[in-house]
Amino acid sequence: MNIIPQIVANSLIAGSIYALIALGFNLVYGATRFVNMVPGALAAIGGYTVFFLFNRLGLNIYFSVIAGVVVAGFFGYLSDRLVFRKLRSHKASNLVSFVASLGIFTMLQALISILFTSQFQSVLSVTENPKTYQILGATFTWVQGLIFITSIAAFVSLALILKKTSFGKAVRAVSDDEEVSKIIGINTNRLISWIFFIGSCLIGLSGIFIGFDIGINPTMGLFIILEGATASIIGGIGNVYGGFLGAFLLGFVENFGILKIPGEWKPAIAFGLLILFLIFKPEGIMNKKK
Amino acid sequence: MNKETLLKIENLHVHYGGVKAVDGVSIEIDEGEIVALMGPNGAGKSTVLKSIFGLAPINAGKILWHEKTIKPVSHEIVKMGLAFVPQGRRVFTHLTIEENLEVGGFVIKDKSLVKNRIAEVMDIFPVLKHKRKNKSGSLSGGEQQMLAVARGLMVDPKVLLLDEPSLGLAPKIVKEVFEKIHEINQKRQTAIMVVEHNIKSLLGIAHRAYVLDKGQVVITENHPKSLMTGDRLEKVFLGKI
Ligand SMILES: Nc1ncnc2c1ncn2[C@@H]1O[C@H](COP(=O)(O)OP(=O)(O)O)[C@@H](O)[C@H]1O
Ligand SMILES: [Mg+2]
Repeated sequence: MNIIPQIVANSLIAGSIYALIALGFNLVYGATRFVNMVPGALAAIGGYTVFFLFNRLGLNIYFSVIAGVVVAGFFGYLSDRLVFRKLRSHKASNLVSFVASLGIFTMLQALISILFTSQFQSVLSVTENPKTYQILGATFTWVQGLIFITSIAAFVSLALILKKTSFGKAVRAVSDDEEVSKIIGINTNRLISWIFFIGSCLIGLSGIFIGFDIGINPTMGLFIILEGATASIIGGIGNVYGGFLGAFLLGFVENFGILKIPGEWKPAIAFGLLILFLIFKPEGIMNKKK
Repeated sequence: MNKETLLKIENLHVHYGGVKAVDGVSIEIDEGEIVALMGPNGAGKSTVLKSIFGLAPINAGKILWHEKTIKPVSHEIVKMGLAFVPQGRRVFTHLTIEENLEVGGFVIKDKSLVKNRIAEVMDIFPVLKHKRKNKSGSLSGGEQQMLAVARGLMVDPKVLLLDEPSLGLAPKIVKEVFEKIHEINQKRQTAIMVVEHNIKSLLGIAHRAYVLDKGQVVITENHPKSLMTGDRLEKVFLGKI
């Protein structure tokens, strides 16, 4: 049996999830220019919101997903409103902002453990959704198909918004030069809060999908930030298109890598790739050399 | 010739830690004027302009617009009719020329008006028209400065603040930039405050000049041309005042 089609399918699914993470991560990074840990916890919040509404309360799955996305977005917005906006107004250094984000990240993780225990939970059990599809010799579940399509749709919508709308152009302007954006009349604080909301929605969605595909636990956020940051750096940090590309590259390299290397080394493959890029092409695929 | 005063700064103080960047400055600009604000590096010129847009920590003083005290919050200030082109040709390098102009009109709700304004400013700066789809990061220094000024004009301001538009440009380009400033002032009646370090040709087009040194106004001159000759400016620059 030829296993290559299956590995390609697995790579695409992993890439789709990484892409959602990288899109959210890069949007927020582009506007704020520091590595923010909070989105990692927001992925868990998205996943757990769905777990609570769907598994515990038995509510409709689509409603639960939308609620999970919005709740993650709202927490992202709050983190900016209550903490990062203040740090910006004090012109806090990137290190200070990073440490603050680490604090919020840890707090949110602890909150989730208190509410839901630190056990691993599966959100959709496979037996509930046995339906699988076959394309070109690869097998995947409907959830995996949904993940792929949603990710592409999210990317296309985001790219269109950034390119075509005046909101999107303002987002790009703020990422380019925040002070000048203020000078031309953009209410940058409000805009950045929106960026936090949208980015956090995307990350929340990735957490929900991870819940569907694998399952969730309170500490899943660290993995998410590492994969998201790796994809972003490979693709070109702060560059939404680059992050998307980097995410799929990461998905392929990881999944083809474990052909030769035992599966538990998957994260090592990601970091190997990250380090190669940091040494040889630190600006990433899509960004120009400074 | 009693023209209305548009913008007035009264007894402005800005301190950065122990540094008194601006130490009791009062200046004003009337309808249709070109005002030159000159002085050595570190005199506090940029800080005065930044204060108007809420980008510097004001310790004391007032900013008045049409004789009413205003709060320096940049997105409110732009809507009132002020535009600011900061020092250093800060265009949005990842955006095209056209996109730079579009975001320059961010506060304008009517998007067809934005389109018309883009056409207008491109008529003033034809070079921008030819390269409209180019990323502004790829432009020459002079072109970027033109774009920065054009972006400021997108809101059709009553008062345009320009911080060292000549900085780092070749003399020929500087001349061109000043001609454009003069043209904008003449044709659109835009009042323009131009900050320059020590470019005497600015005095030729200015209606009034202030010279700043160590955070204070040391010369106020209603006949700026008179500063082009004699040694009053030199004295400031050589620290003899
Ligand atoms: N953000 C800042 N932090 C600390 N000091 C500053 C800052 N901006 C300006 N200064 C200081 O304030 C003084 C005036 O600076 P500036 O307004 O830029 O002068 P100019 O534009 O006339 O060259 C200088 O001594 C400068 O070092
Ligand atoms: Mg200056």
